[in-house]
Amino acid sequence: MTDALQVKGLRKSYGKKEVLKGIDLCVRKGDVFALLGVNGAGKTTTLECIEGLRKYDSGNISVNGSVGIQLQSASLPAYIKGMEAVRLFAKWNKVSADTSMLAALGIEHLANKKYREMSTGQKRRLHLALALISNPDILFLDEPTAGLDVEGRIALHEYIRTLKNTGKTILLASHDMAEVENLCDSIAILKDGLIAFTGTVAELTEKVGTHYNVHIKTNREAKDFEVDNIGPGLIVILQDYQKRNIVIQDIQVDRGSLEQHFVKIAREDNR
Amino acid sequence: MNGFLYSAVLQWKLDLRSRTMLITCYAVPLIFFAIMGGIFTSIMPETTDTLIASMTVFAVSMGALIGLPPSLAEIYRSDIKNAYQANGVPLLLGLMLTNISAFVHLLIMSAILYVIAPIAFDAKIPENPGAHFCGVIILIAVSLGISSIIGLAVKNTANTSMFSILIFIPSTMLSGIMFPADLLPKAFEFVGKLFPATWGYVLMAENSLAGHHLWPLFVIFFASVLLCVILLKRIETR
Repeated sequence: MTDALQVKGLRKSYGKKEVLKGIDLCVRKGDVFALLGVNGAGKTTTLECIEGLRKYDSGNISVNGSVGIQLQSASLPAYIKGMEAVRLFAKWNKVSADTSMLAALGIEHLANKKYREMSTGQKRRLHLALALISNPDILFLDEPTAGLDVEGRIALHEYIRTLKNTGKTILLASHDMAEVENLCDSIAILKDGLIAFTGTVAELTEKVGTHYNVHIKTNREAKDFEVDNIGPGLIVILQDYQKRNIVIQDIQVDRGSLEQHFVKIAREDNR
Repeated sequence: MNGFLYSAVLQWKLDLRSRTMLITCYAVPLIFFAIMGGIFTSIMPETTDTLIASMTVFAVSMGALIGLPPSLAEIYRSDIKNAYQANGVPLLLGLMLTNISAFVHLLIMSAILYVIAPIAFDAKIPENPGAHFCGVIILIAVSLGISSIIGLAVKNTANTSMFSILIFIPSTMLSGIMFPADLLPKAFEFVGKLFPATWGYVLMAENSLAGHHLWPLFVIFFASVLLCVILLKRIETR
């Protein structure tokens, strides 16, 4: 499969502080790719360099296709109406104003609403619609569901899947690990200006080791355990309860979440 | 309609909706005209000769200096500029659109004053309307240049109005529209000559495009353009 995006040796400093220390990334065409990292890891700077919004010191960025950008920190004039914004962006991008995505995003009712009167969720959906106006091959989404209610979030996830099915490549930055796990084919974890991990969620699980959460409810208490090896780990826990004559009422076991894996990677070299 | 034209028309409509332009370009100058026009012409009847010029200078200074900087601050001191950059739109476009919109509003207001001053206060119509409107156009352009510097340079949006007023008050008070500039103390007369309103008023009151009144306006205009380019570059690379 061809690559939609390739980043090699990306470096960027703000004054004496080197924020990106040689980022290498590769996003395959048609993938939903997430860029993760704790605050200050260099996520936004990386995205802004790729989007062409920020100059970088050295490295090479190759984008294979047209680009649509939904920024987390974008705004519009307070008195512009939804439809006027769509027409304006269409004119800027030299395309006809296709309003079908307004309906797809459930915001056709915003056509005559002023920007200042829209809710945060409505604004975010409008910005996504504007990013899609030029029908780009690659879509950059920065915290796409921030500020959305549950219903809006589900609808947007559904729409992102629809976009993926039409062959679009999507690069998203998100703090919502459930969202990333739910939507993404592959991820990259940024740490201290370098890529600490890149691959699929399954590959991340493999890298950090199998991880399980065990929730045990007894006649005295409810307690959570984390074990890396489910068989021997669970036996040790159960034997301990048996020794203390505690009656187990319920046991729940689930695989470790992406969030736990992410934290493990983020903490790895800080020990 | 091409992108630039659509953007310009839309900006004009947005300025009307925001009411800032509506108030600063139309409402306040008209109220000032109604009150001061009545006072001037009853106390000093000879002011009917220069009433159109003085009211036009006030309207242009008010609309440009108080009306334009908030529109610019809205674009360049907020995340709107990110939307411009993300769509590959040059940042210069915001400056151009807001200036074109303000220019049209101020020209309309100047035309309104030109029509109603003779009817309302028996003001003398300039003998050479062409020279009068050339003077109006030059004054608007130069005043918008100064306003653009305020809109681009002031980092805090809340401070924009304060800086606008700091320029607007001496600009109108020392321009000669309230009382003859040659009656002012020399220092104030000198300060007044630093503002385009003084030169614009002389240009319109004398109803001629004399070179010695034009060159200071051109100097101020080109200096403003140069400063605006530098400020835009700074915003772009921030």
